[in-house]
Amino acid sequence: MIWLTSLTKKFKDKIALDRVSFKTKEGEIIGFVGPNGAGKTTTMRLILGYLQPTQGNISIDNLNPIENRINVLKKIGYLPENNPLYQEMRVEEYLSFIADVKNYSDFINIVNQVGLENVLQTKIEELSRGFKQRVGLAAALIGDPEILILDEPTSGLDPLEQEKIRNLIKKLAKHKTIIFSTHILSEVEDIANRLIIIDKGKVVYDGKKPNGKGGVEKLFRKFIKYD
Amino acid sequence: MEKVGWKSYLGNLLNMINLYKKELNYYLNNPIGYITVILFAIFANFFFVKDVFVISSASMKPFFNFLPWLLLVFIPALSMRIFSEEKKSNTIETLLTLPISEADIVLAKFFALTTLVIISLLLTFGLPFSLSLLTKVYYPEIIVGYFGVFLMSLSLLSLSMFFSNQTKNQIIAFLLSAIIIFLLLVLSTDFTASVLPRFLQDGLLSLTPFYHLQNFIKGVIDIRSVFYFVSFTGVFLFLTIVALEKRN
Repeated sequence: MIWLTSLTKKFKDKIALDRVSFKTKEGEIIGFVGPNGAGKTTTMRLILGYLQPTQGNISIDNLNPIENRINVLKKIGYLPENNPLYQEMRVEEYLSFIADVKNYSDFINIVNQVGLENVLQTKIEELSRGFKQRVGLAAALIGDPEILILDEPTSGLDPLEQEKIRNLIKKLAKHKTIIFSTHILSEVEDIANRLIIIDKGKVVYDGKKPNGKGGVEKLFRKFIKYD
Repeated sequence: MEKVGWKSYLGNLLNMINLYKKELNYYLNNPIGYITVILFAIFANFFFVKDVFVISSASMKPFFNFLPWLLLVFIPALSMRIFSEEKKSNTIETLLTLPISEADIVLAKFFALTTLVIISLLLTFGLPFSLSLLTKVYYPEIIVGYFGVFLMSLSLLSLSMFFSNQTKNQIIAFLLSAIIIFLLLVLSTDFTASVLPRFLQDGLLSLTPFYHLQNFIKGVIDIRSVFYFVSFTGVFLFLTIVALEKRN
């Protein structure tokens, strides 16, 4: 369970996050949406212990990600924004490295699940964007983490690839908590069962995903006012 | 706080070995690693041969005295990408969100670079043997000389890694560490000795790696110099770990 309490993050004088609080449950798929610079990536990085909060508390299964960074990271699979990968490595070499670090032997199962079996010997730099995204997702899934944090998992993909990644996320959701950020509101409608809208570092909506087509967009427009 | 049982230590060690292998593989699978190491070997061998045949100096001492100037370029060239490239491509985020500690990341990278330094120095091991064809060679003195150069290389590696962690730009990382190493070398030259007042000269001299290398070149293992190199390396590795932890 992820539990954020009054989480604040400042970068010098700029407030990136302002007293953000929420709690997650197992099996939830949370669509985390907001305009650019709203604080989505910062929140995710704080949950992972990649950044330290200025104020507030984070608890991942009762562990603090700053004091128990390694143990917390064993519970989380993370796909960072823009999916940074070691481009010079072959897919198998990269996933094998991640599996070794996470002490997980059965990564071939994940390779099949994500559909990478035919590109294992290909260098990552030679892959299409869609395949690169699958590599990032496979890396996040290695270790069978309880929590998946996906920062814009379908960004820059063509509609067909987006569809594949979405289906994969839905398939994974049964026993995991998934937080994913996106700019594609229809994606939230398709896969999320909870919606968090963040704007200028503050959570402006946290609740059930509205039913009906266009419901998420209506809600988004209600809470987000562009200057 | 993080659990620190023996299983945890073993897990950390295994993760460090995994990352070490990955880093070393990068250099072994990329031309940049080979080119840097081979260039080092070519220059080192060339200057040795020049000393022997042009200056007629049948000794390893001029070679050991010259090596720090070669390390001035070699060490920053080898280590400039070690963190700066990770920062530029943001794979540092991938790395730092894996269950591996900052200390293990720094040590794994340091040991990978150390392996390359060992390979580079091994490529000059033919020199003492060729020298033995010309004159009587006292091997213990040469071994101590190599040990000194090795310790000095580790110190300069840790310094260069620290600067590589300060920037996303490899060229800036290279220049920063090359400039600092150059200043450290210049401080121990006769030129500086003639410019600075005596008291300042002695104090500054004892802070320079080249000054501490001199005992090793003479074939003497001075424990104070070993301590100097180990401390120098330790301090810069520690500073790199701290800088990596303070990533925000």
